Amino acid sequence: MAANDTLPRGKTRSGWSLFIWQIGIYTAYFAQFVKSRLAYRMDFLIDTLAISVSIVIQMAVLTTLFSKVKALDGWSFPEVLFIYGFSLVPLGLFNLISVNLYRFSDQYIIQGKMDRVLLRPVGTLTQVLCESFNISGLNEILLGSGVMIYAARELGLQPGVGHILGLVILAPGAALVYAGVFLAITSVTFWYEDRMGLAPPVYNMIRFSRYPITIYSLPVRVFLTFVLPFAWVAFYPATWFLGSPGFARAALLTPVVGLIVFGGAVMIWRRGISRYASTGS
Amino acid sequence: MPSLIHVENLSKDYRLIRKREGVGGGLVDLVRPRHRILRAVDNVSFDIAAGEMVGYIGANGAGKSTTIKMLTGILTPTAGEVSVGGLVPWRDRLQYTRHIGVVFGQRTQLWWDLAVVESFRLLRKIYEVPEAVYAEQMAVFDKLLGIGEFLHQPVRKLSLGQRMRCDLAAALLHRPRILFLDEPTIGLDVVAKESVREFLREIRDLQGVTVILTTHDLNDIEQLCRRVIIIDKGKVHFDGLLEDLRLRLGRRVRLTVDLREDRTREAMQTTTEGLPVNWQPAEGRHHVAEFRRAEISGAEVIKLVVNACPVSDLHLAEPDIEEIVRDIYRAAGKEHA
Repeated sequence: MAANDTLPRGKTRSGWSLFIWQIGIYTAYFAQFVKSRLAYRMDFLIDTLAISVSIVIQMAVLTTLFSKVKALDGWSFPEVLFIYGFSLVPLGLFNLISVNLYRFSDQYIIQGKMDRVLLRPVGTLTQVLCESFNISGLNEILLGSGVMIYAARELGLQPGVGHILGLVILAPGAALVYAGVFLAITSVTFWYEDRMGLAPPVYNMIRFSRYPITIYSLPVRVFLTFVLPFAWVAFYPATWFLGSPGFARAALLTPVVGLIVFGGAVMIWRRGISRYASTGS
Repeated sequence: MPSLIHVENLSKDYRLIRKREGVGGGLVDLVRPRHRILRAVDNVSFDIAAGEMVGYIGANGAGKSTTIKMLTGILTPTAGEVSVGGLVPWRDRLQYTRHIGVVFGQRTQLWWDLAVVESFRLLRKIYEVPEAVYAEQMAVFDKLLGIGEFLHQPVRKLSLGQRMRCDLAAALLHRPRILFLDEPTIGLDVVAKESVREFLREIRDLQGVTVILTTHDLNDIEQLCRRVIIIDKGKVHFDGLLEDLRLRLGRRVRLTVDLREDRTREAMQTTTEGLPVNWQPAEGRHHVAEFRRAEISGAEVIKLVVNACPVSDLHLAEPDIEEIVRDIYRAAGKEHA
């Protein structure tokens, strides 16, 4: 005997209405997050203060560092600086939403928060990413923008609408590359339960992506382009603004690479969900 | 009776890693883990009709929670099928979860740092509860659970009883057809337990919700469920009406007696000579007797004991679920033998 008392199937969303619904959910979760942070007013103040201090310190470090370096493998100091500045924008975007990817194994798998996530009629990834935000990601976005504007002025680039449009397309595209890489790493938790895992060493490799890729040997270049595609998070997209021959056209592939990497990671995540074993009791 | 929840030959295996010892062993584990298969749920089948309130009981590790997690779509089974109103929980998750409410007694579903009402507002958004329904539900919850008092307090500052009331309300906010309760009265005091039961009775009558309940407290079952399913070591051992279960087992009761002077077991046995009362081996002032309510009343046994011995204290206790499960299991063993 099959179940013959049926539950109504709700509307399934697609396209535009799905998009609007998702935005609504993100907003609701974000509002919730801000409210819960405001519940600890002192924490919130300290965070804001810490971010401001950290921006000043990072600016000072950059100035000192680059006052010693005039050029790097044919790239002028302002060009290197521009790439560095650009790299911080997608990193900041990614840091805004990625807190729970680092905590995922511990909080969601080992402590069992994933059960609750699976009981709600919202996508699992949406919930995990939106249950916490890292506001200090704004720090990197502001710092990166500041550095880019400074470097652009040194290079004599006239920032126009086209540049802003380029940033709006390329930076989120590059952020998707980060998100994809770390989501894939996080998804491994569904197969191998582990508190920290691969994320910290890979996170450390992000720093390789902040310099012109031409300074590395060929195997490293191939590795950073096709295997661990961190060349797409800063160098390739940044060259579009610099108009570097050869690379500038590759730069336009950034959003495509982002979508491929992130899409692949989402597929791994979904397979992982069906393997989810929950905790005891 | 039309079936709302249909479960057929449902099984779930866990793969446990058997860890080797020492650092060397840890390294070997990384490369070549040794697995042991544990069958947590074994070929379970049942049907539940709309409006039923079913107690799903068993000892710790019997497979209760695993079953509930498969029925709610949290876990994907190893084998077998579940169809709830035509939906498959783990496959149609986004559709299905709109129709169910779930309460885990052990952990809250609410946002820890936020005022209770904020959690409700976010849930309203997630489940797309219309404003009018939301207002109506909140009024019902305030009337039955009195949640209005602490609606503006952060969840972390609530007592366990208050938190449980909020969790129940949160699970029912979107008017689900089915409510899953995993140990809803665990850790609560007698008064709080009673108010939770009272609420569940009212909400069932009011909104006709189908309830599946796991518990350690036999009183929960007695007061709420007509039907019980008993599971042990992953297998269903009993599925039927509570009355039938009681009839089959007779209801075992335990009488504890404290005396003002020493007696032997034999002396105690003679006080209930010829009656189906079993005194446990003991010497001195403390004695324990077991009997079945179906065969003899507690009052009768107490009267005999009090008349024959200098009693200082008496205590009549019902067996807990673990004991009942053991009884059922023993009975099943005998049938097969």
